Amino acid sequence: MFSMFKNLIGSKTLTKEDLDTALEKMKDHLVAKNVASDIAVKLCDSVAAKLEGRVLGTFNTIAHTVKTTLNESCVQILLPKRRIDILRDAMETKQQKRPYTITFCGVNGVGKSTNLAKICFWLVENGFRVLIAACDTFRAGAVEQLRTHTRKLNALHPNVQQDGQHMVKLYEKGYGKDAAGIAMEAINYARDSHIDVVLVDTAGRMQDNEPLMRALSKLIRVNQPDLVLFVGEALVGNEAVDQLTKFNKALIDHSNSENPRTIDGIILTKFDTIDDKVGAAISMTYTTGQPIVFVGTGQTYTDLRNLNAKAVVSSLLK
Amino acid sequence: MVLADLGRKITSALKSLSNATIINEEVLNEMLKEICKALLEADVNIKLVKQLRENVRSVIDFDEMAGGLNKRRMIQSAVFKELVKLIDPGIKAWQPMKGKNNVIMFVGLQGSGKTTTCTKMAYYYQKKGWKTCLICADTFRAGAFDQLKQNATKARIPFYGSYAEMDPVVIAQEGVEKFRNENFEVIIVDTSGRHKQEDSLFEEMLQVNNAVDPDNVVFVMDATIGQACESQARAFKEKVDVASVIITKLDGHAKGGGALSAVAATKSPVIFIGTGEHTDDFEPFKVQPFISKLLGMGDIEGLIDK
Ligand SMILES: Nc1nc2c(ncn2[C@@H]2O[C@H](COP(=O)(O)OP(=O)(O)OP(=O)(O)O)[C@@H](O)[C@H]2O)c(=O)[nH]1
Ligand SMILES: Nc1nc2c(ncn2[C@@H]2O[C@H](COP(=O)(O)OP(=O)(O)OP(=O)(O)O)[C@@H](O)[C@H]2O)c(=O)[nH]1
Ligand SMILES: [Mg+2]
Ligand SMILES: [Mg+2]
Repeated sequence: MFSMFKNLIGSKTLTKEDLDTALEKMKDHLVAKNVASDIAVKLCDSVAAKLEGRVLGTFNTIAHTVKTTLNESCVQILLPKRRIDILRDAMETKQQKRPYTITFCGVNGVGKSTNLAKICFWLVENGFRVLIAACDTFRAGAVEQLRTHTRKLNALHPNVQQDGQHMVKLYEKGYGKDAAGIAMEAINYARDSHIDVVLVDTAGRMQDNEPLMRALSKLIRVNQPDLVLFVGEALVGNEAVDQLTKFNKALIDHSNSENPRTIDGIILTKFDTIDDKVGAAISMTYTTGQPIVFVGTGQTYTDLRNLNAKAVVSSLLK
Repeated sequence: MVLADLGRKITSALKSLSNATIINEEVLNEMLKEICKALLEADVNIKLVKQLRENVRSVIDFDEMAGGLNKRRMIQSAVFKELVKLIDPGIKAWQPMKGKNNVIMFVGLQGSGKTTTCTKMAYYYQKKGWKTCLICADTFRAGAFDQLKQNATKARIPFYGSYAEMDPVVIAQEGVEKFRNENFEVIIVDTSGRHKQEDSLFEEMLQVNNAVDPDNVVFVMDATIGQACESQARAFKEKVDVASVIITKLDGHAKGGGALSAVAATKSPVIFIGTGEHTDDFEPFKVQPFISKLLGMGDIEGLIDK
């Protein structure tokens, strides 16, 4: 009698079989949105685990219930567990009379140098003086690229020069030299000249390239930057996972320390080139649990944003 | 090697057919599931993967087919045909002509490796005795001319560019004219990185294209790219006449399947692959040997009708 009543109002206990078709569709949807495929599987598994055995509400379809649950999970993944407040932290180190140091790392061509320049612009707008350390001593034109940015940035802020000094300075030693050493000299130079922030540009490197990964961990080990930012492009597919895991692993393996420095946060670049295929944001944060500190949305200095988790999830599930 | 891992997974999925006692719908679906999973993990575009699955399914009619051996062969051959379609657009790769001016324009997304690959290609032909040169028509990216200049100087390749001129169309036109007059055989034009969402950048590409009238437009794609490749590649093809693809950064861990969708989208073959940051980390890519190698990984050769 009662069970018949239940059927009439359409509520139903969800079984694995009920969910399977909806989840299979959802998985394909996530992959099409450029979520790494094993992460799409894991996400769907977690939705299944949450929903199995639950009673389906009166007017809700299975597809709708799956979507709502996934929505919650994805927002959860994207919301930073830890807030990184660069302006506040840089103010604090300034009071301690030492420069605040950020190191940018990542694979080739993702936008490290360009987004470093954007962050430099943002810092200058907030009244900080910046030293850019040209520690990509390998790629042709890397030093000139930063010199051009330095010149342009100073031209944009001609009135805010403090005591006749330019707001942005470049520290470079040309090509072929040891990057860790140049970073150290730059940080010392910034301390002596009362420059507030040092932005360390590094050469792009493949996560499997052992000598180059070793060199990066040395740079980080000997200089102990305040912030290590991993730069990854929103265009990247399944590689997102491997890049982040291996960068972190290299920093740990070559650290010779019990408390190794790892990636503190992510810059997600080229967000303007992917339409609604926003999956890399999920792949990257799911993998490391580290926050996306900035999103790069174009090629000019003002194309830098904070991540809007809700908006990203809504284009993901659209 | 490109897709090597993928080749292994596919052949192992195909072997599952040989191990099965009866071949029915269930066995086929299981095998297709394995193959599609491997393709998606290699970043192959999901639409292409779904199409592959449908096409293989449509070939096989379980009600009409008789013998087990026949079914196996038909399925395996259908899978291979579909895989070949992913890599082979069925068009002969463009080749420069000796003794003529061959103008090649490089286009692609930001940071995909155009500037690096321009020098690699010029160096490749130079070593084979061609008269090659480079033109920097990127006036946007900071340090772009210095980058090309340093690469070209190191590889001893003549180059053209300007710090003062801001219009890439003017530079491209002047450069090509100069090198045509000097009878250069391989004239490579590097352009800025761009994406379909920004109209003015695509318009600029068209103008450079019209100014230099290239014999070949090369679309440069990074091996790490995921699902966004297909629509970008298609947009480039719609604007200029892309005829070749180069996949870069295959020295890393990436399988390059995302970049492969550029082959379908532009109907153009992959002509070279980039395998490192140095000028000689560059290999010609030939579709047929690649496929036989992929086939050779299982002992299933001879399945495709020649
Ligand atoms: N559309 C778009 N392009 C970007 C963005 N960020 C960087 N770029 C472009 O990407 C290209 C590569 O940027 P770089 O900053 O040189 O990249 P990198 O990581 O420093 O490169 P390497 O040092 O060679 O490894 C340039 O053309 C940039 O203008 C972004 O957010 N959107
Ligand atoms: N590991 C590796 N790196 C490569 C390869 N090809 C290019 N790169 C690197 O990728 C980065 C970007 O290369 P560029 O040649 O500057 O790319 P681009 O397309 O000209 O960039 P934009 O002009 O800014 O659009 C550089 O760090 C190159 O050294 C490759 O095959 N393997
Ligand atoms: Mg750089
Ligand atoms: Mg370039």
